Amino acid sequence: MYALLTATHLGEFWPFSIYPMFSRGGHPWVRAVVREVPAGGEGISWQTVHTPEALPGHPFPLGETGINQNDIANFVSKSAVWDAQRIRGMRKLFRSTLDEVGLLIYRVEGRLHEPDSVAVTYTPFILLTPDSTYFNPGLSLPTSDAR
Amino acid sequence: MNRLLKNLFDFERPETTGERLFYRLFELAVLYWVLHFAWDWGFYIQRIGEVVLPLGIAQYIDISFMFEHGVSLLNAGAITVAAALAFFRRWRYGYLAALLLLHLQYVSRFCLGEISHGSNIIGMVLVGMALAPLCFDDRDRQRRFVFGFSYFFLGLGYVSAAVCKLVASGPGWVDGRHLWMWIAERTVDTFSITGEIHYTWVQELALSAVPIATLILTFGLLAEFFAFLMWFKRTRPYIMTLLLTMHIGILLSMQINFPANNVMLLLLAYPWHAWIDRGLAHLGATAFERIRRASLRFT
Repeated sequence: MYALLTATHLGEFWPFSIYPMFSRGGHPWVRAVVREVPAGGEGISWQTVHTPEALPGHPFPLGETGINQNDIANFVSKSAVWDAQRIRGMRKLFRSTLDEVGLLIYRVEGRLHEPDSVAVTYTPFILLTPDSTYFNPGLSLPTSDAR
Repeated sequence: MNRLLKNLFDFERPETTGERLFYRLFELAVLYWVLHFAWDWGFYIQRIGEVVLPLGIAQYIDISFMFEHGVSLLNAGAITVAAALAFFRRWRYGYLAALLLLHLQYVSRFCLGEISHGSNIIGMVLVGMALAPLCFDDRDRQRRFVFGFSYFFLGLGYVSAAVCKLVASGPGWVDGRHLWMWIAERTVDTFSITGEIHYTWVQELALSAVPIATLILTFGLLAEFFAFLMWFKRTRPYIMTLLLTMHIGILLSMQINFPANNVMLLLLAYPWHAWIDRGLAHLGATAFERIRRASLRFT
């Protein structure tokens, strides 16, 4: 049963698993960081930065809100299409927080930089304001019904 | 094969009072984690609005009904009742019901794209506890089955993790720069969680020289690869101690904690039951007899 379920479900059928985590050494990764910005999103920049110190606004520590950082990172890295339902799903995670502030979610990418260093880039991805959602105009994201 | 089965199950050996008492403690620990996951996920699921990655049963049914009207909390309640009935030996299928409902809870919680492995060991032990009363009538055989089943699949899981690494990356997986990549990844994660950048001393050590990082990864890969040694009584405490050390290493080098795994490893690594028996041997005959009878009634 273990072999059957894992073989037919890409290695995962809880609690059965082939445990593939961290198996692809050296592969680029994508994570997410959230910054608190003015509720109207005035003056925010869509510019990519390379250090955390260069990020605008204030840190928005996900740990204090009970939101799992993996979920935000997965939304950013695994969403093929950003339709109205997906945007609602993203906004629901932040719930009441969005009544008061704007949140700028960064797509953070890491890759091995020869010879011996890791290059990390922070690219603005989505701006969530109390009543609107904006995508980085510089990224060609497949969206429909986005608002 | 016979040697392996004897090391895992050893059905013929008479059961001691220490084994019965330790099994109840072990069962309580599993129960704690089952309820912890059920309720923790239950509250989180209410924040989820959409399925990004359908896992397990979610590939066949639409699980979005779990996201609204407190359904995931009702499911957590049902898991609690089923597990409690099983624990107090009121329902033979209690752990099976808890397992199936917890699967539903898991696929609802992790439908946003993350595949978490922090609960898999608890889930596998629960599979053993669900199967035991269906396979055996005698309680002592049920207990032996649960432990043997747990050792087998715990060992298999770690070996599988090592094989996946070798298949996906080859022996070069241990290249220290790969650890640098994961440290950078996890540093972004902790920055995302806390708003601050913080390195542990092991991370600083690993980042100071590639060979040190390579050594850390080599230790982890070897510990996982030889995890099958926990199937044998003689080597069990040593390999499981190494795996515990590996988990502490993962915590210090990547800031990833697997508390449920660590508790299970700690409970399964050492002959706690023999130590309980040794302690009981120091009691007077009357006290020992009372505990022995209670252990028979209570289990």
